[in-house]
Amino acid sequence: MSRASQAAREVIMSDTTSGSSTRRFRMLLRLLPAEFRGDYGPEMEQVFAEQRAGAARHGDKMGIWRLWWETAKGIFTTAPREHLSMLRQDAGFALRMMRKNLGFTIAAIIVLGLGIGANTAIFSVVNAVLLKPLPYEHGERLLMLNQRTARGGGGVGRSSVPELNDYRRQNRSMDGIVEYHNMQFILLGRSEPERVETGVVSWNFFDLFGVKPLAGRMFEPNDEKPGAPAVLLLSFEYWERSFGGDPTVVGKTFRMNDKPHTVIGILPPFPQYPHENDVYMPSVACPFRSDPGLIANRQGRMLRLFGRMKPGVKPAQAEADLSTIAASMQRDYPDDYAKDTNARMEATPLKTELTRDAKPTMLFLLAAAGFVLLIACANVANLNLARVVRREREMSLRTAMGAGRVRLFRQLLTESFLLALGGGMLGLFLAISGLQLLTAYVARFTPRAHEVHVDAQVLLFTLAIAGLVSILTGTVPALARRTNLIINLKEGGSQATLGATRGKMRSALIVAQVAVSFLLLIGAGLAVRSLINLQRVDAGFHPENVLTMQISLDFSRYMSDKGMDASNRLMLGFADSLLAKIQAMPQVTSAAVSGEFPLDKSPAFNNQFVIERQQGNASSDIPTAEFNVVSPDYFRTLGIPIFSGRTFDGRDRPDKLRVAIINQALARHYFHDQDPVGRRISFDDGKEWTQIVGVSGDVRERTLDQTPSELIYLPYAQYPQMSPSLVAHTQGDPLNIARAAVQHLYEVDANQPAGHIRSLEQVRADSIAAPRLTANLLGLFALLALAIAAAGIGGVMALSVSQRTHEIGVRMAIGARPAEIIWMVLRQGMTLALVGVVAGALGAFALTNALKSLLFGVTPTDPTTFGAVAVMLAAAAFAACYIPARRAARVDPLQALRAE
Amino acid sequence: MNKTPEPTAPLTPAMFHVLLALAGDDLHGYAILKEVALRTGGEVQLSTGTLYGIIKRLLNDGLITERRERPAAIHDDERRRYYRLTSKGRDVAAAEAERLEKVVALARSRRLLKKTQLA
Repeated sequence: MSRASQAAREVIMSDTTSGSSTRRFRMLLRLLPAEFRGDYGPEMEQVFAEQRAGAARHGDKMGIWRLWWETAKGIFTTAPREHLSMLRQDAGFALRMMRKNLGFTIAAIIVLGLGIGANTAIFSVVNAVLLKPLPYEHGERLLMLNQRTARGGGGVGRSSVPELNDYRRQNRSMDGIVEYHNMQFILLGRSEPERVETGVVSWNFFDLFGVKPLAGRMFEPNDEKPGAPAVLLLSFEYWERSFGGDPTVVGKTFRMNDKPHTVIGILPPFPQYPHENDVYMPSVACPFRSDPGLIANRQGRMLRLFGRMKPGVKPAQAEADLSTIAASMQRDYPDDYAKDTNARMEATPLKTELTRDAKPTMLFLLAAAGFVLLIACANVANLNLARVVRREREMSLRTAMGAGRVRLFRQLLTESFLLALGGGMLGLFLAISGLQLLTAYVARFTPRAHEVHVDAQVLLFTLAIAGLVSILTGTVPALARRTNLIINLKEGGSQATLGATRGKMRSALIVAQVAVSFLLLIGAGLAVRSLINLQRVDAGFHPENVLTMQISLDFSRYMSDKGMDASNRLMLGFADSLLAKIQAMPQVTSAAVSGEFPLDKSPAFNNQFVIERQQGNASSDIPTAEFNVVSPDYFRTLGIPIFSGRTFDGRDRPDKLRVAIINQALARHYFHDQDPVGRRISFDDGKEWTQIVGVSGDVRERTLDQTPSELIYLPYAQYPQMSPSLVAHTQGDPLNIARAAVQHLYEVDANQPAGHIRSLEQVRADSIAAPRLTANLLGLFALLALAIAAAGIGGVMALSVSQRTHEIGVRMAIGARPAEIIWMVLRQGMTLALVGVVAGALGAFALTNALKSLLFGVTPTDPTTFGAVAVMLAAAAFAACYIPARRAARVDPLQALRAE
Repeated sequence: MNKTPEPTAPLTPAMFHVLLALAGDDLHGYAILKEVALRTGGEVQLSTGTLYGIIKRLLNDGLITERRERPAAIHDDERRRYYRLTSKGRDVAAAEAERLEKVVALARSRRLLKKTQLA
């Protein structure tokens, strides 16, 4: 024998004797289903050992390798086939069981469908709004640039043309900076004059966002040259709404601002921010933006800036870079910036900006939907558990026939997976049905609402949820069985012990359902309380019987070539004529025009001022206030009280003494205990003085949840350069005079379209539409949870009563009265419910703090809400227990005993 | 009346070989492997995985059964199980053999086989 074959023989002998090959073979066997392994594993081991011994006897090393190879191949081909056949068998059996228990199947699918549907719907929103990248090219590099200078007119955070030019020239971090502002212009050339929301932008605005035209072309550098022919891009939504999606509109010409404007292209649908505009024009086409005075004025801050960072630059770096430029501008032009605050740039990623309002609410709703799903799972797990009790005989029989524990576990999981799949399909259907409503709701928070769809990611999420649900609902009863089997073997199957284990599990599931329902009801309760507080909050004005009409003045026809005063006269003439006609209407008790009215969603118009004899104070507190221009009857029309001094009247005309009315908040802040009436303020560092003639009540101008800001009212007659809004107090329903009011408007100017007409009560209600919808949605989730939990308690008590029929019969036979039986059942059920309420209350105390930012006028641990929810939940549990309790009391003792 | 029993799925060649092996005698797993290899001249070599996949199916279809009686303890390994062809299994195997015979006859009539070449 050669030395090589001797060595091979030794290897083979060691393989035979060491048992290591047995271990390796067992590892291979693990690929097979457990049941198959249980049936044939030992035998296969034995056969393999004989095969191996046979090969070893021939001293054939190659033979042993061949044996391993063939064996592995055989197991690798057999394993998937066996798994599949078992799955088919399980699924077939599960479907038969589901058909047999149709009531249970339908109940479970509905409960799971509601839970999964709620999650799918909310996830589709979270996915589209919060998770997906912005649908712009390099969306992650886009920034919104808010300049902080604390000086100058215009909105907060805006920049002027000279500033934009400086930022463009001097920055080192940006690929590009573009400007944006929004105007309302009148578009003529269609059957009626039409007010269009207009975005005025740099020529490369859409290039920066990577938006390509749907038809026609985008703006080009030539479009922004002074004197270039005016061109327009239509937004997709406006094109669909007003032109029925007609592509031939490209090339057509309309009149705007007294000039022909040619439509050069249609924009695709994309989230528009900060406004949903109808049309876009390059900056030179806007009569305000192209005014040489504004272009040269460093304080003419009317532009919002957007920028795209160079690749690899972080927002903080861009912010530092641009802030350095702001600081140098402040050094070079000290008169144009606040003296004692540092001018700087705030750079916010556009995605943060677009989703800022939506994020807390959407995440909160997702959590609420998750809770609903948890309750649904606990409920179905309980139903499953009850069913396992009824299937005890079948399960024991199958165990006796050799079905392993793993096999039964798998069987139960298959059944719950099929149920979850059914629930998932129902949920998907519900989510798709409700998507349109949900999108309209989400649109109140973010311009990304249009992106909400049920797509592949949402489908995957639903499938994953269904998988999770099947594990949650299937494992509980399966675990109960495992415990049972062990006890079964030890104690020879004492039914009492089995019942007790399952009873505990059922009770735990009930407590969990009640506790989570409590959390949801608290969430909904707090949201509803906030809403009620918002509805009841004293906003400082009386919205009853007030008609409002927002008019967008066609400035091109009210701007005179003869200078500012002539223009002012034209605009005041329009307002005076309109007001005279409205005031003459018999139903109108008072009417006024104003630059804005409370809650009209117009942006705050802030400016600084100085107070006579207080300027030059070393205080760092530079007086700043919001402004509104109003005609004399504004305060009477809205029911805003004048606390001292007088309201505006016929004396306050253009060439008379400049006067102002300030609100109490401002008076308190800057005049403390002194009477401000008679004091003077200036908006141009003391060149011209304005006398304070009155102090008015405070009004919540922007939103109902913000405390009133400090406000200065100026007479409309002295500052008529703003588009007026009309407010009119009427006898009876203000909307009754809407048509006549529009008629009067056309009499004054036939080419002036009527704006947005609403009653002030509608305006107020609309301002809290988002919290109202949130409260509604939460309320829906909470009621769903309450119904599922109550049904769960009722179901478990009914089962318990039916299992205890014999015992109840005995009790009644020895003299228990029906009331005692009812009490016994109620006590059992209510104990569970109350434990759940206590657990839920503890959880709510811990969790509701996260809600703080969404609440108004109510603390997260509001005792009233907690008390009301506890009572409500207890009442629902009581009602759910009472039905089985009454049935228990009606048990006929004779029949109950005989049945046993 | 000639009633040919049908298994739930068509017989694979490997299954037919297992039935043929058991047509002679009741055998345990390893013996079946050896018998099949011997009768086919080593052409058909079943692995343990394949064999027990087949045994499971044949048992489920009622073509074979597990024999209760075991050999004397001295010759026995308790892990071994002995399998026996059922009458249904015998009928199915016979039907399969007849089918193959017809196929062979057809092949011969088409002169694909020489007379001397016996199956």
